Amino acid sequence: MNEVDGLLEHLFRHQYGAIVSRLVRVLGSAHMDFAEDAVHEAMLRALKTWPRRGVPGNAPAWLTRVAYHAAIDRLRRQRLAGYTTELVESWEAPEMEPLEDDELRMIFLCCHPAIARDSQVALSLKIVAGLSALEIARAFRVDEVAVTRRLTRARRQIREHGLALDTPPLSFERLSAVLDVIYFMFNEGYAALEGQDLIRRDLCFEALRLGQLIAASAVATPRVHALVALMALDAARLPARTDELGDLILLEQQDRQRWDQRLLALGLDHFQRAIGGDDHSRYHVQAGIAVAYAATPDLAAIDWRAILQLYDSLYAMDPSPIVALNRAVALAKVEGPAAALDAVEALRDRRAVRDYHLYVAVRGHLLQQLGRTRDAAECFRSALDMRCSEPERRFLLGKLAECVDSAGIGNS
Amino acid sequence: MPEFLLLLHEDPTNWRTVSPEEMQRALEQYFAWTRKPFVLGHEHLAEDVGKVIRSRDGVPRAADGPYSESKEVLAGFFVIEAADYEEAVARSMDHPHLAYGTIEVRQIQRHE
Repeated sequence: MNEVDGLLEHLFRHQYGAIVSRLVRVLGSAHMDFAEDAVHEAMLRALKTWPRRGVPGNAPAWLTRVAYHAAIDRLRRQRLAGYTTELVESWEAPEMEPLEDDELRMIFLCCHPAIARDSQVALSLKIVAGLSALEIARAFRVDEVAVTRRLTRARRQIREHGLALDTPPLSFERLSAVLDVIYFMFNEGYAALEGQDLIRRDLCFEALRLGQLIAASAVATPRVHALVALMALDAARLPARTDELGDLILLEQQDRQRWDQRLLALGLDHFQRAIGGDDHSRYHVQAGIAVAYAATPDLAAIDWRAILQLYDSLYAMDPSPIVALNRAVALAKVEGPAAALDAVEALRDRRAVRDYHLYVAVRGHLLQQLGRTRDAAECFRSALDMRCSEPERRFLLGKLAECVDSAGIGNS
Repeated sequence: MPEFLLLLHEDPTNWRTVSPEEMQRALEQYFAWTRKPFVLGHEHLAEDVGKVIRSRDGVPRAADGPYSESKEVLAGFFVIEAADYEEAVARSMDHPHLAYGTIEVRQIQRHE
Protein backbone atom coordinates (compact mmCIF):
# COMPACT_ATOMS: atom_id res chain seq x y z
CA MET A 1 0.00 0.00 0.00
CA ASN A 2 2.89 2.35 0.73
CA GLU A 3 4.18 2.68 -2.80
CA VAL A 4 0.62 3.56 -3.79
CA ASP A 5 0.31 6.10 -0.99
CA GLY A 6 3.51 7.79 -2.00
CA LEU A 7 2.59 7.89 -5.65
CA LEU A 8 -0.93 9.08 -5.16
CA GLU A 9 -0.81 11.59 -2.37
CA HIS A 10 -3.74 13.89 -3.14
CA LEU A 11 -3.24 12.99 -6.81
CA PHE A 12 -6.95 12.91 -7.61
CA ARG A 13 -7.75 16.15 -5.86
CA HIS A 14 -4.85 17.99 -7.41
CA GLN A 15 -5.36 16.54 -10.87
CA TYR A 16 -9.08 17.22 -10.75
CA GLY A 17 -8.68 20.98 -11.08
CA ALA A 18 -5.86 20.65 -13.57
CA ILE A 19 -7.74 18.34 -15.93
CA VAL A 20 -11.08 20.13 -15.63
CA SER A 21 -9.26 23.37 -16.44
CA ARG A 22 -7.68 21.81 -19.50
CA LEU A 23 -10.99 20.43 -20.77
CA VAL A 24 -12.75 23.74 -20.14
CA ARG A 25 -10.14 25.54 -22.20
CA VAL A 26 -10.97 23.26 -25.13
CA LEU A 27 -14.72 22.99 -24.58
CA GLY A 28 -15.38 26.56 -23.52
CA SER A 29 -16.43 27.67 -20.08
CA ALA A 30 -20.13 27.15 -20.87
CA HIS A 31 -19.41 23.43 -20.62
CA MET A 32 -17.80 23.52 -17.22
CA ASP A 33 -20.10 21.01 -15.57
CA PHE A 34 -19.66 18.79 -18.58
CA ALA A 35 -15.89 18.81 -18.10
CA GLU A 36 -16.33 18.09 -14.42
CA ASP A 37 -18.46 15.04 -15.20
CA ALA A 38 -15.85 13.70 -17.61
CA VAL A 39 -13.05 14.00 -15.05
CA HIS A 40 -15.23 12.39 -12.41
CA GLU A 41 -15.85 9.51 -14.79
CA ALA A 42 -12.14 9.09 -15.47
CA MET A 43 -11.38 8.91 -11.78
CA LEU A 44 -14.13 6.38 -11.24
CA ARG A 45 -12.61 4.32 -14.05
CA ALA A 46 -9.23 4.51 -12.31
CA LEU A 47 -10.82 3.39 -9.07
CA LYS A 48 -12.25 0.33 -10.80
CA THR A 49 -9.27 -0.69 -12.91
CA TRP A 50 -6.12 0.34 -11.07
CA PRO A 51 -6.47 -2.11 -8.17
CA ARG A 52 -6.49 -4.93 -10.74
CA ARG A 53 -3.94 -3.69 -13.27
CA GLY A 54 -1.79 -1.43 -11.14
CA VAL A 55 -1.26 2.33 -11.27
CA PRO A 56 -0.19 3.40 -14.76
CA GLY A 57 3.30 4.85 -15.08
CA ASN A 58 2.09 8.36 -15.80
CA ALA A 59 -1.11 8.48 -13.77
CA PRO A 60 -2.00 12.14 -14.52
CA ALA A 61 -1.61 11.54 -18.27
CA TRP A 62 -3.79 8.42 -17.99
CA LEU A 63 -6.52 10.39 -16.20
CA THR A 64 -6.32 13.22 -18.74
CA ARG A 65 -6.63 10.83 -21.66
CA VAL A 66 -9.57 8.92 -20.20
CA ALA A 67 -11.35 12.15 -19.23
CA TYR A 68 -10.76 13.51 -22.70
CA HIS A 69 -12.33 10.43 -24.30
CA ALA A 70 -15.22 10.51 -21.83
CA ALA A 71 -15.84 14.14 -22.77
CA ILE A 72 -15.78 13.32 -26.49
CA ASP A 73 -18.25 10.48 -25.96
CA ARG A 74 -20.56 12.79 -24.09
CA LEU A 75 -20.29 15.48 -26.73
CA ARG A 76 -21.13 12.97 -29.46
CA ARG A 77 -24.15 11.79 -27.53
CA GLN A 78 -25.28 15.37 -26.98
CA ARG A 79 -24.89 16.07 -30.64
CA LEU A 80 -26.97 13.05 -31.45
CA ALA A 81 -29.55 14.40 -29.06
CA GLY A 82 -29.80 17.55 -31.18
CA TYR A 83 -27.15 19.82 -29.70
CA THR A 84 -24.91 21.45 -32.18
CA THR A 85 -21.28 21.38 -31.48
CA GLU A 86 -18.61 21.59 -34.05
CA LEU A 87 -15.93 21.02 -31.45
CA VAL A 88 -15.87 17.26 -31.58
CA GLU A 89 -14.10 16.81 -34.87
CA SER A 90 -11.65 19.63 -34.32
CA TRP A 91 -10.43 18.24 -31.02
CA GLU A 92 -6.89 17.12 -30.76
CA ALA A 93 -5.72 14.76 -28.09
CA PRO A 94 -4.31 16.90 -25.28
CA GLU A 95 -0.56 17.03 -25.06
CA MET A 96 0.87 15.84 -21.76
CA GLU A 97 2.82 18.92 -20.81
CA PRO A 98 2.48 20.36 -17.30
CA LEU A 99 -1.04 21.56 -16.65
CA GLU A 100 -0.36 24.45 -14.32
CA ASP A 101 -1.17 27.23 -16.77
CA ASP A 102 -4.70 26.01 -17.36
CA GLU A 103 -5.20 25.58 -13.65
CA LEU A 104 -4.02 29.10 -13.04
CA ARG A 105 -6.41 30.45 -15.65
CA MET A 106 -9.17 28.52 -13.93
CA ILE A 107 -8.48 30.22 -10.58
CA PHE A 108 -8.72 33.57 -12.31
CA LEU A 109 -11.96 32.54 -13.99
CA CYS A 110 -13.45 31.39 -10.67
CA CYS A 111 -12.54 34.77 -9.14
CA HIS A 112 -14.08 36.84 -11.91
CA PRO A 113 -15.53 40.08 -10.50
CA ALA A 114 -18.94 39.24 -12.00
CA ILE A 115 -19.20 36.40 -9.50
CA ALA A 116 -20.15 37.05 -5.88
CA ARG A 117 -17.42 36.50 -3.29
CA ASP A 118 -19.01 33.49 -1.59
CA SER A 119 -19.56 31.89 -4.99
CA GLN A 120 -15.97 32.67 -6.02
CA VAL A 121 -14.75 30.81 -2.98
CA ALA A 122 -17.11 27.88 -3.44
CA LEU A 123 -16.28 27.53 -7.12
CA SER A 124 -12.53 27.73 -6.52
CA LEU A 125 -12.78 25.02 -3.89
CA LYS A 126 -14.98 22.83 -6.05
CA ILE A 127 -13.07 23.06 -9.31
CA VAL A 128 -9.53 24.06 -8.50
CA ALA A 129 -9.19 22.38 -5.13
CA GLY A 130 -11.35 19.37 -6.03
CA LEU A 131 -13.59 19.42 -2.96
CA SER A 132 -17.16 18.13 -3.08
CA ALA A 133 -20.13 20.34 -2.22
CA LEU A 134 -20.51 18.39 1.02
CA GLU A 135 -16.87 18.95 1.99
CA ILE A 136 -17.16 22.66 1.25
CA ALA A 137 -20.33 22.79 3.33
CA ARG A 138 -18.55 21.11 6.24
CA ALA A 139 -15.58 23.44 5.98
CA PHE A 140 -17.75 26.55 6.10
CA ARG A 141 -20.37 25.14 8.46
CA VAL A 142 -23.22 25.79 6.05
CA ASP A 143 -25.54 23.23 4.57
CA GLU A 144 -24.86 21.43 1.34
CA VAL A 145 -27.88 22.95 -0.39
CA ALA A 146 -26.49 26.45 0.14
CA VAL A 147 -23.17 25.43 -1.37
CA THR A 148 -24.85 23.76 -4.35
CA ARG A 149 -26.84 26.94 -4.88
CA ARG A 150 -23.68 29.07 -4.85
CA LEU A 151 -22.03 26.74 -7.33
CA THR A 152 -25.03 26.75 -9.65
CA ARG A 153 -25.19 30.53 -9.49
CA ALA A 154 -21.50 30.87 -10.28
CA ARG A 155 -21.69 28.48 -13.23
CA ARG A 156 -24.71 30.31 -14.57
CA GLN A 157 -22.93 33.65 -14.27
CA ILE A 158 -19.99 32.24 -16.19
CA ARG A 159 -22.33 31.00 -18.91
CA GLU A 160 -24.44 34.14 -19.10
CA HIS A 161 -21.53 36.54 -19.09
CA GLY A 162 -19.69 34.36 -21.55
CA LEU A 163 -16.67 34.42 -19.29
CA ALA A 164 -13.80 32.65 -20.94
CA LEU A 165 -10.80 30.89 -19.56
CA ASP A 166 -8.19 32.71 -21.59
CA THR A 167 -9.36 36.33 -21.70
CA PRO A 168 -7.79 38.13 -20.04
CA PRO A 169 -4.98 35.60 -19.93
CA LEU A 170 -3.72 36.29 -16.44
CA SER A 171 -4.91 39.66 -15.37
CA PHE A 172 -3.11 41.75 -12.80
CA GLU A 173 -6.33 43.56 -11.84
CA ARG A 174 -7.98 40.34 -10.86
CA LEU A 175 -4.95 39.20 -8.96
CA SER A 176 -5.98 40.91 -5.75
CA ALA A 177 -9.38 39.16 -5.78
CA VAL A 178 -7.61 35.85 -6.33
CA LEU A 179 -5.25 36.51 -3.44
CA ASP A 180 -8.16 37.45 -1.18
CA VAL A 181 -9.96 34.22 -2.02
CA ILE A 182 -6.83 32.18 -1.35
CA TYR A 183 -6.20 33.93 1.96
CA PHE A 184 -9.84 33.50 2.94
CA MET A 185 -9.50 29.79 2.21
CA PHE A 186 -6.36 29.60 4.31
CA ASN A 187 -7.91 31.43 7.25
CA GLU A 188 -10.97 29.24 7.27
CA GLY A 189 -8.71 26.22 7.60
CA TYR A 190 -6.40 27.86 10.11
CA ALA A 191 -9.12 29.14 12.41
CA ALA A 192 -10.29 25.58 13.05
CA LEU A 193 -8.25 23.86 15.68
CA GLU A 194 -10.00 20.54 15.48
CA GLY A 195 -7.05 18.38 14.50
CA GLN A 196 -9.27 15.50 13.51
CA ASP A 197 -11.05 17.52 10.86
CA LEU A 198 -8.73 16.85 7.95
CA ILE A 199 -10.75 18.80 5.42
CA ARG A 200 -10.18 22.02 7.30
CA ARG A 201 -6.46 21.39 7.74
CA ASP A 202 -6.28 20.51 4.05
CA LEU A 203 -7.82 23.90 3.24
CA CYS A 204 -4.65 25.52 4.59
CA PHE A 205 -2.40 23.42 2.43
CA GLU A 206 -4.59 23.75 -0.64
CA ALA A 207 -4.49 27.55 -0.26
CA LEU A 208 -0.73 27.37 0.11
CA ARG A 209 -0.43 25.21 -3.01
CA LEU A 210 -2.51 27.67 -5.06
CA GLY A 211 -0.44 30.56 -3.74
CA GLN A 212 2.75 28.81 -4.78
CA LEU A 213 1.26 28.13 -8.19
CA ILE A 214 0.71 31.84 -8.71
CA ALA A 215 4.08 32.71 -7.19
CA ALA A 216 5.72 30.52 -9.85
CA SER A 217 3.78 32.15 -12.70
CA ALA A 218 4.20 35.22 -14.85
CA VAL A 219 1.82 37.27 -12.67
CA ALA A 220 3.85 36.74 -9.53
CA THR A 221 4.21 40.12 -7.84
CA PRO A 222 5.87 40.87 -4.50
CA ARG A 223 2.36 40.79 -3.01
CA VAL A 224 1.91 37.19 -4.11
CA HIS A 225 5.18 36.27 -2.44
CA ALA A 226 4.09 38.12 0.71
CA LEU A 227 0.89 36.06 0.87
CA VAL A 228 2.75 32.79 0.31
CA ALA A 229 5.27 33.77 2.99
CA LEU A 230 2.47 34.57 5.42
CA MET A 231 0.65 31.30 4.80
CA ALA A 232 3.80 29.16 4.92
CA LEU A 233 5.03 30.73 8.17
CA ASP A 234 1.62 30.42 9.84
CA ALA A 235 1.24 26.84 8.63
CA ALA A 236 4.74 26.04 9.92
CA ARG A 237 3.49 26.67 13.44
CA LEU A 238 0.45 24.38 13.08
CA PRO A 239 2.13 21.23 14.51
CA ALA A 240 3.14 23.13 17.65
CA ARG A 241 -0.23 24.74 18.31
CA THR A 242 -1.65 21.77 20.16
CA ASP A 243 -0.08 19.16 22.42
CA GLU A 244 -0.49 15.37 22.23
CA LEU A 245 -3.86 15.68 23.96
CA GLY A 246 -5.00 18.26 21.43
CA ASP A 247 -4.85 21.07 23.99
CA LEU A 248 -3.90 24.58 22.91
CA ILE A 249 -0.37 25.84 23.40
CA LEU A 250 0.12 29.59 23.32
CA LEU A 251 2.82 30.94 21.04
CA GLU A 252 5.29 31.78 23.78
CA GLN A 253 5.14 28.29 25.22
CA GLN A 254 5.44 26.54 21.88
CA ASP A 255 8.29 24.15 21.21
CA ARG A 256 10.06 25.61 18.19
CA GLN A 257 11.45 22.18 17.37
CA ARG A 258 7.94 21.18 16.41
CA TRP A 259 7.58 23.94 13.85
CA ASP A 260 7.68 22.59 10.32
CA GLN A 261 11.21 23.48 9.18
CA ARG A 262 10.44 23.01 5.49
CA LEU A 263 7.53 25.46 5.61
CA LEU A 264 9.57 27.85 7.69
CA ALA A 265 12.31 27.91 5.04
CA LEU A 266 9.72 28.25 2.28
CA GLY A 267 8.10 31.19 4.06
CA LEU A 268 11.37 33.00 4.69
CA ASP A 269 12.41 32.49 1.08
CA HIS A 270 9.17 34.00 -0.24
CA PHE A 271 9.44 36.84 2.25
CA GLN A 272 12.82 37.73 0.79
CA ARG A 273 11.22 37.93 -2.64
CA ALA A 274 8.24 39.89 -1.28
CA ILE A 275 10.28 42.80 0.03
CA GLY A 276 12.02 43.40 -3.30
CA GLY A 277 9.58 45.94 -4.74
CA ASP A 278 7.90 49.03 -3.36
CA ASP A 279 4.57 47.33 -2.74
CA HIS A 280 3.55 47.51 0.90
CA SER A 281 0.36 45.49 1.18
CA ARG A 282 -1.35 44.11 4.24
CA TYR A 283 0.08 40.72 3.35
CA HIS A 284 3.54 42.25 3.63
CA VAL A 285 2.79 43.51 7.11
CA GLN A 286 1.20 40.26 8.23
CA ALA A 287 4.10 38.27 6.80
CA GLY A 288 6.43 40.65 8.63
CA ILE A 289 4.71 39.77 11.89
CA ALA A 290 5.02 36.05 11.13
CA VAL A 291 8.72 36.54 10.31
CA ALA A 292 9.23 38.34 13.62
CA TYR A 293 7.94 35.25 15.42
CA ALA A 294 9.82 32.83 13.20
CA ALA A 295 13.15 34.65 13.37
CA THR A 296 13.26 34.80 17.17
CA PRO A 297 15.49 32.03 18.52
CA ASP A 298 13.91 32.32 21.95
CA LEU A 299 10.15 32.75 21.99
CA ALA A 300 10.30 34.37 25.42
CA ALA A 301 12.41 37.14 23.85
CA ILE A 302 10.08 38.22 21.06
CA ASP A 303 10.51 41.86 20.08
CA TRP A 304 6.99 42.97 20.94
CA ARG A 305 7.79 46.60 20.27
CA ALA A 306 8.55 45.77 16.62
CA ILE A 307 5.42 43.64 16.42
CA LEU A 308 3.32 46.45 17.87
CA GLN A 309 4.66 48.79 15.18
CA LEU A 310 3.69 46.28 12.52
CA TYR A 311 0.19 46.05 13.99
CA ASP A 312 0.03 49.85 13.95
CA SER A 313 0.70 49.86 10.21
CA LEU A 314 -1.72 47.00 9.67
CA TYR A 315 -4.40 48.91 11.57
CA ALA A 316 -3.74 51.96 9.39
CA MET A 317 -4.49 49.82 6.32
CA ASP A 318 -7.38 47.87 7.80
CA PRO A 319 -8.96 49.52 10.85
CA SER A 320 -11.08 46.48 11.69
CA PRO A 321 -11.86 45.44 15.25
CA ILE A 322 -10.13 42.08 14.70
CA VAL A 323 -6.87 43.83 13.81
CA ALA A 324 -7.37 46.15 16.78
CA LEU A 325 -7.81 43.13 19.04
CA ASN A 326 -4.57 41.56 17.83
CA ARG A 327 -2.83 44.89 18.25
CA ALA A 328 -4.07 45.06 21.85
CA VAL A 329 -2.35 41.73 22.60
CA ALA A 330 0.97 43.19 21.42
CA LEU A 331 0.23 46.40 23.31
CA ALA A 332 -0.16 44.41 26.54
CA LYS A 333 3.37 43.08 26.09
CA VAL A 334 4.83 46.53 25.49
CA GLU A 335 2.85 48.88 27.74
CA GLY A 336 1.22 46.48 30.15
CA PRO A 337 -2.26 45.05 30.64
CA ALA A 338 -3.92 48.32 31.72
CA ALA A 339 -3.20 50.12 28.44
CA ALA A 340 -4.27 47.03 26.49
CA LEU A 341 -7.49 46.76 28.47
CA ASP A 342 -8.34 50.35 27.56
CA ALA A 343 -7.81 49.53 23.90
CA VAL A 344 -9.96 46.41 24.21
CA GLU A 345 -12.72 48.21 26.08
CA ALA A 346 -12.87 50.77 23.29
CA LEU A 347 -13.97 48.00 20.94
CA ARG A 348 -16.81 46.66 23.02
CA ASP A 349 -19.61 48.11 20.90
CA ARG A 350 -18.17 46.94 17.59
CA ARG A 351 -20.42 44.24 16.26
CA ALA A 352 -17.61 42.14 14.74
CA VAL A 353 -16.08 41.39 18.13
CA ARG A 354 -18.97 41.61 20.57
CA ASP A 355 -19.90 37.96 20.18
CA TYR A 356 -16.40 36.78 19.29
CA HIS A 357 -15.13 34.39 21.93
CA LEU A 358 -11.49 35.43 21.48
CA TYR A 359 -12.40 39.06 22.15
CA VAL A 360 -14.02 38.14 25.43
CA ALA A 361 -11.18 35.74 26.24
CA VAL A 362 -8.50 38.40 25.64
CA ARG A 363 -10.42 40.81 27.84
CA GLY A 364 -10.61 38.13 30.54
CA HIS A 365 -6.90 37.46 30.25
CA LEU A 366 -6.04 41.16 30.71
CA LEU A 367 -8.40 41.48 33.68
CA GLN A 368 -6.78 38.43 35.23
CA GLN A 369 -3.33 39.99 34.82
CA LEU A 370 -4.62 43.10 36.55
CA GLY A 371 -5.77 41.00 39.47
CA ARG A 372 -9.47 41.53 38.73
CA THR A 373 -10.12 37.79 38.86
CA ARG A 374 -13.84 38.07 39.53
CA ASP A 375 -14.39 40.11 36.33
CA ALA A 376 -11.98 37.84 34.48
CA ALA A 377 -13.95 34.75 35.52
CA GLU A 378 -17.08 36.46 34.23
CA CYS A 379 -15.41 36.94 30.82
CA PHE A 380 -14.22 33.34 30.55
CA ARG A 381 -17.68 32.15 31.51
CA SER A 382 -19.36 34.20 28.79
CA ALA A 383 -16.70 33.20 26.24
CA LEU A 384 -17.60 29.58 26.97
CA ASP A 385 -21.17 30.34 25.94
CA MET A 386 -20.00 31.41 22.47
CA ARG A 387 -19.05 29.27 19.52
CA CYS A 388 -15.53 27.92 19.87
CA SER A 389 -13.56 24.80 19.09
CA GLU A 390 -13.10 21.94 21.55
CA PRO A 391 -9.44 22.75 22.41
CA GLU A 392 -10.40 26.39 22.94
CA ARG A 393 -13.20 25.31 25.23
CA ARG A 394 -10.79 23.27 27.36
CA PHE A 395 -8.37 26.20 27.43
CA LEU A 396 -11.08 28.60 28.59
CA LEU A 397 -12.23 26.13 31.24
CA GLY A 398 -8.64 26.01 32.52
CA LYS A 399 -8.47 29.81 32.70
CA LEU A 400 -11.81 29.97 34.46
CA ALA A 401 -10.59 27.43 37.04
CA GLU A 402 -7.47 29.55 37.68
CA CYS A 403 -9.60 32.61 38.39
CA VAL A 404 -12.01 30.74 40.58
CA ASP A 405 -9.16 29.13 42.56
CA SER A 406 -7.28 32.35 43.17
CA ALA A 407 -10.32 34.42 44.08
CA GLY A 408 -11.97 31.67 46.05
CA ILE A 409 -15.25 32.43 44.36
CA GLY A 410 -17.65 29.64 43.64
CA ASN A 411 -19.27 28.91 40.33
CA SER A 412 -22.69 29.31 41.93
CA MET B 1 -9.38 -24.38 2.05
CA PRO B 2 -12.93 -23.56 0.88
CA GLU B 3 -13.31 -20.63 -1.51
CA PHE B 4 -15.94 -17.91 -1.45
CA LEU B 5 -17.21 -15.54 -4.08
CA LEU B 6 -17.92 -11.98 -2.98
CA LEU B 7 -20.39 -10.38 -5.36
CA LEU B 8 -20.21 -6.59 -5.17
CA HIS B 9 -23.54 -4.95 -5.85
CA GLU B 10 -23.90 -1.20 -6.05
CA ASP B 11 -26.15 1.62 -7.13
CA PRO B 12 -23.94 3.50 -9.61
CA THR B 13 -25.61 6.80 -8.71
CA ASN B 14 -24.03 6.52 -5.26
CA TRP B 15 -20.78 7.65 -6.85
CA ARG B 16 -22.18 10.82 -8.32
CA THR B 17 -21.45 13.10 -5.39
CA VAL B 18 -18.20 11.54 -4.23
CA SER B 19 -15.27 13.98 -4.22
CA PRO B 20 -11.91 13.27 -5.89
CA GLU B 21 -10.30 12.94 -2.48
CA GLU B 22 -12.86 10.37 -1.37
CA MET B 23 -12.40 8.42 -4.60
CA GLN B 24 -8.70 8.37 -4.01
CA ARG B 25 -9.20 7.18 -0.45
CA ALA B 26 -11.47 4.42 -1.78
CA LEU B 27 -8.82 3.52 -4.36
CA GLU B 28 -6.19 3.19 -1.66
CA GLN B 29 -8.53 1.06 0.44
CA TYR B 30 -9.25 -1.22 -2.52
CA PHE B 31 -5.52 -1.56 -3.13
CA ALA B 32 -4.95 -2.48 0.49
CA TRP B 33 -7.77 -5.00 0.47
CA THR B 34 -6.72 -6.72 -2.74
CA ARG B 35 -3.33 -7.38 -1.12
CA LYS B 36 -4.75 -9.32 1.80
CA PRO B 37 -3.23 -12.82 1.86
CA PHE B 38 -6.58 -14.61 1.55
CA VAL B 39 -7.62 -12.81 -1.65
CA LEU B 40 -7.26 -15.16 -4.63
CA GLY B 41 -8.58 -12.90 -7.37
CA HIS B 42 -10.84 -9.99 -8.24
CA GLU B 43 -12.30 -8.14 -11.21
CA HIS B 44 -14.44 -5.10 -11.79
CA LEU B 45 -17.12 -5.24 -14.43
CA ALA B 46 -17.72 -2.68 -17.16
CA GLU B 47 -20.44 -0.18 -16.43
CA ASP B 48 -23.15 -1.33 -18.79
CA VAL B 49 -26.28 -3.36 -18.29
CA GLY B 50 -24.74 -6.47 -19.86
CA LYS B 51 -26.60 -9.15 -21.75
CA VAL B 52 -28.79 -11.97 -20.60
CA ILE B 53 -29.46 -15.03 -22.72
CA ARG B 54 -32.67 -16.95 -22.30
CA SER B 55 -33.96 -19.93 -24.15
CA ARG B 56 -37.56 -19.90 -25.18
CA ASP B 57 -39.04 -22.95 -26.92
CA GLY B 58 -35.53 -24.26 -27.31
CA VAL B 59 -34.31 -21.10 -29.07
CA PRO B 60 -31.69 -19.06 -27.12
CA ARG B 61 -32.07 -15.29 -27.41
CA ALA B 62 -29.96 -12.47 -25.98
CA ALA B 63 -31.37 -9.28 -24.53
CA ASP B 64 -30.07 -6.36 -22.50
CA GLY B 65 -30.02 -7.10 -18.84
CA PRO B 66 -30.44 -8.46 -16.34
CA TYR B 67 -30.31 -5.18 -14.46
CA SER B 68 -31.93 -2.75 -16.86
CA GLU B 69 -34.93 -2.35 -14.56
CA SER B 70 -33.28 -2.18 -11.17
CA LYS B 71 -31.07 0.38 -9.48
CA GLU B 72 -28.47 -2.09 -8.26
CA VAL B 73 -25.94 -3.62 -10.58
CA LEU B 74 -23.25 -6.24 -10.16
CA ALA B 75 -20.09 -4.14 -10.17
CA GLY B 76 -17.40 -6.74 -9.60
CA PHE B 77 -16.31 -9.75 -7.63
CA PHE B 78 -13.60 -11.11 -5.36
CA VAL B 79 -12.61 -14.70 -4.70
CA ILE B 80 -11.29 -15.31 -1.19
CA GLU B 81 -10.26 -18.26 0.94
CA ALA B 82 -11.89 -18.94 4.29
CA ALA B 83 -12.55 -21.92 6.56
CA ASP B 84 -16.33 -21.44 6.47
CA TYR B 85 -19.06 -18.86 5.95
CA GLU B 86 -18.45 -17.36 9.36
CA GLU B 87 -14.82 -16.65 8.57
CA ALA B 88 -15.61 -15.48 5.02
CA VAL B 89 -18.08 -12.95 6.39
CA ALA B 90 -15.76 -11.84 9.18
CA ARG B 91 -12.95 -11.30 6.67
CA SER B 92 -15.21 -9.19 4.44
CA MET B 93 -16.53 -6.89 7.14
CA ASP B 94 -13.92 -4.21 6.36
CA HIS B 95 -14.23 -4.42 2.58
CA PRO B 96 -14.15 -0.88 1.15
CA HIS B 97 -17.07 -1.66 -1.16
CA LEU B 98 -19.39 -1.60 1.86
CA ALA B 99 -19.24 2.19 1.82
CA TYR B 100 -20.88 2.22 -1.62
CA GLY B 101 -22.97 -0.96 -1.92
CA THR B 102 -23.67 -4.44 -0.66
CA ILE B 103 -21.68 -7.67 -0.75
CA GLU B 104 -23.21 -11.04 -1.44
CA VAL B 105 -21.09 -13.90 -0.06
CA ARG B 106 -21.40 -17.31 -1.76
CA GLN B 107 -19.39 -20.44 -1.21
CA ILE B 108 -17.92 -21.99 -4.35
CA GLN B 109 -18.99 -25.63 -4.62
CA ARG B 110 -16.14 -28.07 -5.07
CA HIS B 111 -16.81 -31.69 -6.07
CA GLU B 112 -14.20 -34.04 -4.77
